[in-house]
Amino acid sequence: MIRKLKKKEEWLAIAGLAGILLLVMFLSLFLGSVLISPVDLLNSNILWQIRLPRVVLAAFIGLLLSISGVLLQGVLRNPLADPYILGISAGGAVGAAISIALGANFVVLGISSVPAMAFLFSLVAVYVVYKLSQVGGRTAPETLILAGVALSAFCAAILSLIIIMTGSLQSIYFWLLGSLASASWSNVITVIPYALVGAGVAYFYSKELNALLLGEEMAITLGVDVEKTRFILIGAASLMAATAVSVSGLIGFVGLIIPHWIRLIIGPNHRVLVPISALSGMLLMVVADTISRTILAPMEIPIGIIMSLVGAPFFLYLLRRRRIEGK
Amino acid sequence: MTVLKIENLVCGYDPKKPIIKGISFSVKDGQFVGIVGPNGSGKTTLLRSLVGLLKHQDGSIIIGNHHIGNLDRRELARRIAFVPQLMEPIEGFTVEDLVLLGRIPYFDRFTFETDDDYEAVRWAIEELKVGKLRERQIDELSGGEFQRVAIARALAQEPRLLLLDEPTSHLDIRFQVTICKLLRKLRSHRSIVATFHDLNLASRFCTKLVLLKDGEVIAEGHPDEVVTPQNIWKAYRIKVQVKKTDKTQKTRYVMLP
Repeated sequence: MIRKLKKKEEWLAIAGLAGILLLVMFLSLFLGSVLISPVDLLNSNILWQIRLPRVVLAAFIGLLLSISGVLLQGVLRNPLADPYILGISAGGAVGAAISIALGANFVVLGISSVPAMAFLFSLVAVYVVYKLSQVGGRTAPETLILAGVALSAFCAAILSLIIIMTGSLQSIYFWLLGSLASASWSNVITVIPYALVGAGVAYFYSKELNALLLGEEMAITLGVDVEKTRFILIGAASLMAATAVSVSGLIGFVGLIIPHWIRLIIGPNHRVLVPISALSGMLLMVVADTISRTILAPMEIPIGIIMSLVGAPFFLYLLRRRRIEGK
Repeated sequence: MTVLKIENLVCGYDPKKPIIKGISFSVKDGQFVGIVGPNGSGKTTLLRSLVGLLKHQDGSIIIGNHHIGNLDRRELARRIAFVPQLMEPIEGFTVEDLVLLGRIPYFDRFTFETDDDYEAVRWAIEELKVGKLRERQIDELSGGEFQRVAIARALAQEPRLLLLDEPTSHLDIRFQVTICKLLRKLRSHRSIVATFHDLNLASRFCTKLVLLKDGEVIAEGHPDEVVTPQNIWKAYRIKVQVKKTDKTQKTRYVMLP
């Protein structure tokens, strides 16, 4: 049962979540493959150069992926949309892999080649999926998912091809798993502007996203430029997903789980859904990353594996629920 | 004052086969205009072009003093509101949330709903007499309740002109009359154009009828002038008798055996 939040409760929920997030981030600094007493830790490089950037990066990757999911679900009017399921992340991974395999590491307009290529290829992927969603007006959500599955398989094949041809197994394989092990301050600095701009766009387009809840035609009668909105929001979602991929590889299901879950609790009003999903996505990724670092310490499980272990069953549950409800 | 003026309007989905073939009529302040006609006569197509969902191919649509093409989407949305035949209920929305969507044409990029918007929402909800349902979930409403909420949503846009596509077609007779009575009351603030299948209902409540057939107007005016055996034969190819009911002195037709 969804209960509508009052204005004051909305701010309380946002502030409360932000507080919990900061607390969990703080605690997570003291957990890791090497157990160090808090006092020693404060003076060590491990804290400042390894754990802190990693925890911060995890949080922002969570924001990128969850908001990307909110935007895609809203704009495609498809509750099962998510950058990973639609193959957008896989497309980005191909771009990043090509960039790495070619050894190309140039900088265009302040964007280094790996995220730039990831963005370019994820746009191609999103274009393919989007065109498929346009055939005959409104496509069944499941059709879009199937297109995403095919696209992901295609991208996986290209990735394997690149691995075989270049022999750069180590560095590219990491994209297939999704990991935050290479976190550094420079990564954090790359990611933050995209995360903040993307979240800002999502927040200030929340009225358009709400109008779209009524369907495209009703949104038009409410004065929404649907074509432009779709262009901007799909662009933002792809850029956010591509940024996440270029830094941390393929981490799935965050964009699916978070918006779904939050919608069940607070309802579909995007003005609240966007900030709460952003914070919850951050929280989820920090927790998942902490688990990935500690559960089999000193060994580390890539976070992508953990998210798929949790996310795939959740996705199946959603599919089943939709079948039962006949929606 | 004329709120809407349509001149020689031609529109449709295929440029070679227009559905509306050059029609003209106008809607004045406080009028409740019923668009009637057989299936496929172009009633819905006409509404869609008035609300900007369908570009017209020829002729002109003038809203207030503006040609429709000179108004941007938001300006148009502040002047004309549309209630579709079937609106999807949004899971997880309350009545108030839904009605608040009607205020979207008034939001700027970086602002959200203000007290004025909530005031307009409250007013629209009161006008449609759904105050008691304000906190209720949309998907728990009955058909008649939902239709009233859908109209309240359009009313929250504070339009000069309210367009409704068959507002009564999914309702039982009690709610058909309720909705029409509410619409008749609303016309004191704004003009209303609605399509109807039920000629009796339309002639009892509308101040003016426009009878369409194959995309052309075959009769227009006061219900008494439009609902005649000759016009109905022309439009529907059925024979009817037209009578005045004793109590209301409103025109109604009776089908001949």
